[in-house]
Amino acid sequence: MLWRWLIFIWIAAFMIAAFAWAPLVPVLEATTRVLYFHIPAAWVTVLALGWSMIHSALYLWKRDMRHDDQAAAAAELGLLFCVVATVSGSLWAKAMWGSYWNWDPRETSIFFVLLLYAAYLALRGSIEGEEKRARLSAVYSVIAFVAVPFLMFVVPRIYFSLHPEVIDLSRGKVDMDPRIRICFSGMLVGFTFLYFWLQSLKVRVTRLERRALVS
Amino acid sequence: MPRSWSSSMAAVWAVLRKECRSEWRTRYGLNAALLFAVASLAAVSFSAGRLGERTDVLAALFWIVLLFATLASMSHAFVRETENRTMLLLRLVASPTEIALGKLLFNLVFLLVVEVAIVPLFMVLMSAPPPRWGSFLTVLGLGTVSLAASSTLVGAVIAQTRGRGALFAGVSLPLLLPVLAAAVSGTKAQWIGVGLDGEIRLLIAYAVALLGMSLLLYEHLWED
Repeated sequence: MLWRWLIFIWIAAFMIAAFAWAPLVPVLEATTRVLYFHIPAAWVTVLALGWSMIHSALYLWKRDMRHDDQAAAAAELGLLFCVVATVSGSLWAKAMWGSYWNWDPRETSIFFVLLLYAAYLALRGSIEGEEKRARLSAVYSVIAFVAVPFLMFVVPRIYFSLHPEVIDLSRGKVDMDPRIRICFSGMLVGFTFLYFWLQSLKVRVTRLERRALVS
Repeated sequence: MPRSWSSSMAAVWAVLRKECRSEWRTRYGLNAALLFAVASLAAVSFSAGRLGERTDVLAALFWIVLLFATLASMSHAFVRETENRTMLLLRLVASPTEIALGKLLFNLVFLLVVEVAIVPLFMVLMSAPPPRWGSFLTVLGLGTVSLAASSTLVGAVIAQTRGRGALFAGVSLPLLLPVLAAAVSGTKAQWIGVGLDGEIRLLIAYAVALLGMSLLLYEHLWED
């Protein structure tokens, strides 16, 4: 309960700061602010899908249903945040590039990630038997995550993309105004906690459902 | 049960031979794949017309025909075992990894046969300019390895679910989209005559990652 309010106040405070206090980047103008929303969502997508993959591998190793609950919840939340990142990116593309969707390598990649985890959920839905569902979806989740680093990090760097690189990994530094950086980091932290809070809720619901089924 | 390297290899070889023999006896998988590939090639060819100059479209169509032929038929290596109820018997004589490796090799052979038929037919029907064979075959080979690796793993998973056929394509395709993207741009690059090192490196990395991960996952495909 306390967590919920802390996360709410934290994100709200940085949101206000992002609008009232942080400056705008010259070329991007008002669309600068998508940064505080879009990149944290993309970061949480990778985090959630990685979390799902780790728990899938743990499930295959330990055969404990608790890991499957974590993996399933993380994949669903990953998909949700992926949609958030896609939609916010698409709106930004409309403002900056003139169209919602034009198959820029970044757009292609994130679309493939969406499809991958939609397929994961479709697969889960079609397997009967709890143990079998856990095992087979864990296998798929691990192999699907092989594609994620390629899509999120390799492809956009090989093909020419118009997507701005705020965090340049090759140079290892961040080109940002200090005030923008503070707001951006605050939102990153806020989104991360938001994700783990949602994750714990989702896992608890799954467990309660199972207990209700058993009794 | 851990077994020696040579006896594992013998088991893989035996599974491969068994697959080839049972495919050869009925040939329905191969016939279906070839028929599907030729039919889709014909559909593409007469609806798109002659595309001799448009190598970008040619590269895309080539990989889409190949991918569809694969998705239409590649799940049957495992689905066949489920439908004939022979999976348990097979698992008595070989470990999951040995079975999966045997099926992977079979899928590779299967794809090669389909490609031997499709590639010349595509070049003739679409009146494509002659490819630079070295680069073209490298891209084709690497794409084939990824196709076979992903269909083996997904096929084994799908064979244990409801609605096997329909789900196979839907679940395989997202895994193969990075391969498709790199292979299409590689095929286009060799026709235009520009370098394609980036694409080849991406295809190699993806194929190695898929195969390596598959090897770790095969033993979890079936319950002990």
